[in-house]
Parts: sequence; C-alpha cells; structure tokens
Amino acid sequence: MDENIIEVTGLKNYLGGQWVHKDINLTVKRGEILAIIGGSGSGKTTLLRCILMLLKPTAGTIRLFNKEISHLSEQSIQALRRRWGMLFQHSALFSSMTVLENIMFPMQEFTLLNKKFMQELAMLKLSLTGLPNQAANKYPAELSGGMQRRAATARAIAMDPELLFLDEPTTGLDPIGARQFDELVVFLRDALHLTIVMISHDVESLRQCTDRVAFIGEGKVLCIAPFEELRKNSHPLIADYFSNYEE
Amino acid sequence: MIRMHQNEATLIIDHEKSLCLCKGAWSILSINNLLNAIDNIAFPSSQSVKISGEEITEFDSAGALALIQCQQKLRKETSNVELIHFNQKQLALINLLEKNHQSIDYTPPPPIKHDPLYELGKEAVFKLTQIDGLVILIGSLTDRMFAAAGNWKRFQFPSLVSNIYTTGLQALPIIALLSFLIGVVLAYQMGLQLETYGANSFIAYLSGLACFREFAPLITAIIVAGRTSSSYTAHIGTMKLNEEIDAIETMGLSPVELLVLPKLLALLVVFPLLIFWSDVFSIFGAMLLSKIELGVGYIEFMTSINDTVGAKQMLLGLYKAPVFAILIALVGCFQGFNVEANASSIGRQTTKSVVQALFLIIIADAAYSIIYSWLRL
Repeated sequence: MDENIIEVTGLKNYLGGQWVHKDINLTVKRGEILAIIGGSGSGKTTLLRCILMLLKPTAGTIRLFNKEISHLSEQSIQALRRRWGMLFQHSALFSSMTVLENIMFPMQEFTLLNKKFMQELAMLKLSLTGLPNQAANKYPAELSGGMQRRAATARAIAMDPELLFLDEPTTGLDPIGARQFDELVVFLRDALHLTIVMISHDVESLRQCTDRVAFIGEGKVLCIAPFEELRKNSHPLIADYFSNYEE
Repeated sequence: MIRMHQNEATLIIDHEKSLCLCKGAWSILSINNLLNAIDNIAFPSSQSVKISGEEITEFDSAGALALIQCQQKLRKETSNVELIHFNQKQLALINLLEKNHQSIDYTPPPPIKHDPLYELGKEAVFKLTQIDGLVILIGSLTDRMFAAAGNWKRFQFPSLVSNIYTTGLQALPIIALLSFLIGVVLAYQMGLQLETYGANSFIAYLSGLACFREFAPLITAIIVAGRTSSSYTAHIGTMKLNEEIDAIETMGLSPVELLVLPKLLALLVVFPLLIFWSDVFSIFGAMLLSKIELGVGYIEFMTSINDTVGAKQMLLGLYKAPVFAILIALVGCFQGFNVEANASSIGRQTTKSVVQALFLIIIADAAYSIIYSWLRL
C-alpha cells in the first residue's frame, strides 16, 4: 500500500512578523515512520500544529486521508480527529485521573461501550505500551517521566487511530528509556499498523526507528530521505546539524 | 476507509454449515450493538464451528477483543473453533491480544474503603498537621520579619507596592459600590421603623453606629477575603505546581520572606484605608436616603453624626483591620502552600482559603464584640 496519508503542498506561514514557512512540501505514506527535524525555531512544531488543525496556515493546502482539510465541515473534522492520536511533549495526562481513567477517557467520550469492555481495552493498550498492570491505578504524578510518556502513548492509541503524532517523544528520557521508547514506537507501528509522524532531536532515535527523515530549514523541506542518506547531504544546515554526531 | 456508524459490526450465524460470518466494521466506533447482543446470540452447537472474517471491512483491537470474546463463548460448548478467511494482519492482531490476555483480564483492585472510625482519625490527624503547618508558617513569618527589620531592602519594596495596588487600589470601586448600597438599605430599613415613632432625627446616630462599628469593617473584610485570599492561594499554588517554590528554596532564599511577607504587609497597610473608604460610602448612602425618605437634611445628618457617634466609634471599627488583614493573608498563603501536584487541587485549595477566611473573620468579629462589651465601649 503506497497510499499517501498526509500531503502538504506549498504551505506558507506568516507568524509574528516573519515567514516561518516559505514553501513546505511533504508527503507521508501509510505505514511509515517519518521524523521531522531541524534547528530550533525552524517551524517543526508549527508544521505539526497546522497538520493537527490547531493553526490555520497562511497559504497552501494540507490533505489528510485524501481530504483537503480547509474545506471540511465541523462534523467531518471531528470524524478526522478520531482517526489520529497525539502524544504531547509533556505527556499532558489529566492529573486528576488515574492512568486507566486517562486511557478510558476518549472511549467514554466517543463510544457507548460498557465499562468492562472499555477497561479490558484500556488494559490492553496499557500492556502494549509496556507498562505493568499495577500502573493502572496510579496517578500521573506517581509515575516516572518515562512511564508517563508510555501512559500518554496508551491514551493516544486508545481509539485505535491510523495516524500517530509524537512531539519529541524521547526528550527528557534517560538513554536506556529513550531506546526502549524507540522500540515501542516500531512495535506499535507493526502491531497496530500505524503511520507515525514524529518531531525529534534525538539522533540515535532517528537512526533506529525512522523510515524517512524530513529536514526543515530556511522555511522549506531541505531534504527528505532515509536517515543515512540525509546525514551525507552536503547542505550547510544539515551538515551543521549532524556535525557533532559520530557513530 | 471512512469509519461510519452505519456500517455496524454484525455476526451472522449459519446453523446448517456451523458457520459464524463476521460482517461490517469491527472497530471501536461500531462494535457496541454487537457487544450488547453477544449474550443472546444462539451460537451453533455442533462439534466444530468456523468463524469467517470474509466480509469484515475494518478490524481494530476493539474488534479483535470482541472476536476473542465470541470465541471464548463458543469454546464453552464446542471443542473445535476455527478462524477462516482472516488476513495476516488481522490474525497478527488477534495473536497479539491473546499474548496480552493477562493484562486484559487484570482488574485493578477497587479503591480500599475504610471504616468511619479510620476516616475520623485520618481527618483528625490531617487537621492537626494543618494547624502544625500554620504554626510553622506564623513562626517563620515572625522570624523573617525580625531578620529583615535590620535591612529595609529585604522588605521587597516593588513586590509590596504591586500588592498594595492589586489588593487595595483595584478593590476601591467594588467596595465603594457595595458600601453605598449597604448604607442605603440600612437607612431605609431603620427609617421605616423610626418614622412610625416620629424619631426621624435618630437615623444619623443609628446608621452611623452600625456602619462604623460593624458593617464597614465586615463588608470590606468579605470583599477582600473573596478577592485577595483566593488570589494569594492561586498565585502561590501555581508557583508550587511549577516548582518555582522549590527553585526559591534551593537558591537558599525563603519563600515566606519573598512571597508571604510582602503580601501580609500590603494587606496590613491597605486594610484600614479600605475600611475608611467603606465608612465614607456607607454613610454617604445612608445620608442620601435619609434626605429622600425621612427629610433629614445633609448638614443636620452630619452634625448629628459628629455629636452623637463621633470619631471614637469609627476607630473601634478601624481597630479590627490588622486582625482581619493578618487572617486573610495567612489563610490565603497557607492554603497556597498546601496545593498538591494536580490541577484540581488548586481549585480545591482556593475554595478552602475563601471559606476559611470568611469563617475566621466572622469569629474574629464576634470576639471583638465581646471584648468591646467587656470594656464597655
């Protein structure tokens, strides 16, 4: 299946008195793990916010699941939003609910399933993300950073989305935790047939789990290629980005 | 591939062929009806039953879980259940679920319920630690105050001024309006009674006494408790959530000195002024109504107040200011430090701080009344 899930063409963004994006073109294929990288302030998060419909772009078109998002009705937007999951940088778990309640929250809002079935499904998601059963009854504040990230991932995949966005998933984790999280990302992609788009600064995680990497700089996608290929790119910005990285 | 509710998941039973045919979208949004009906389905009762996934349009983990539940029901009656026409991906998903069945079957233990006696004890201990915390706060506040006394720079002058601005200046309009209204209402109610006895000129004495001694200090305290103690709690609570309090402490500074002291001093400075402001407007309201309803002239009213009530009664009201100010500032800051690491805690502590501040103000006001009556004031 070589179907495009996301197609961004000619995206421009004028924010805070400057052009953040001048001409972004990007496609994401079904089933791949694509990472978006770039120096800080290059507009990675802005791009993600545009795709998530949290920000209306100045110009350009974004097609999700073959639908142009600027012409959708409120109802189809809601339907579209149920087809993706998002993992925020700081987990954004609801602090007054237990982990299990956090995972069950979207199910309770969108479906009429009975509580036992929801709980079983939530426990499945919990164990898929590698959390022990005992974590279910804990509050987010009682978990370590890495476990919070896993719990937030479980909530992001609660509704069995087709598309998963990760915003700096390994930032702030220790190297072992970060590598384990990389494995989790690949495992989830294979097990649940997800398409994953992530923003990352973690070069090791780019090397380990991505299929393709898009480098954003100067308001454009400078290069989009598998990691090893991208690393050899001679563009000064890209070369500079990888200058400190040695195998 | 759009998920539609119309495309409900269904299970069609063919008794002759011993076949269960899964149809439609077996996905989380369209599986509900099937799950509700699952107990009433008459499964085929032959030795070997086949489940066919031929006509499944969508299949996600919710669908897989439902399918496994169907299988379990079938296994109770028949020995041989076979899945046919499922594609690789679907089989992989079913396998994945079976591998994780331990977690799926795990029911988190229900929250432990304690008997009332335990709860009572816990609440008592909690209240005691709260009092303990309050005493510690008061102690460190006094300590800081004396330590800072030698060095005026440590009184956080800019912070003090900004606190005076927000707790004092910005409260002026609302206090003026409410005091004016209270004055009007008070004079109106008393005027009705006085008029029947023809004792109109006593209105100045009565309303002056009531406003100076009770109403102006109390109204001010209620407004300040609502505005200021909640804002103190939210301010300190948010700082605590953001670990800003910890940051101050690790720098070797004292959060009490930096945050509580300026707030307390600001309130101490501002409170008597606010009470006076309230005095002015409540008397103004009473005066206006006396003229309109009872025909008591402005000059007559004011001279009567001066002669019968006098500045002494006003001072008795103003003496309440420092106690009210300390109570409001302490409760607000103390509840702010009690905020725990979740979002609902801020709301809870803010409510507590306003309720406790009001409660303590009423108690303090009662205490003042008793003391004044002892002293025959």
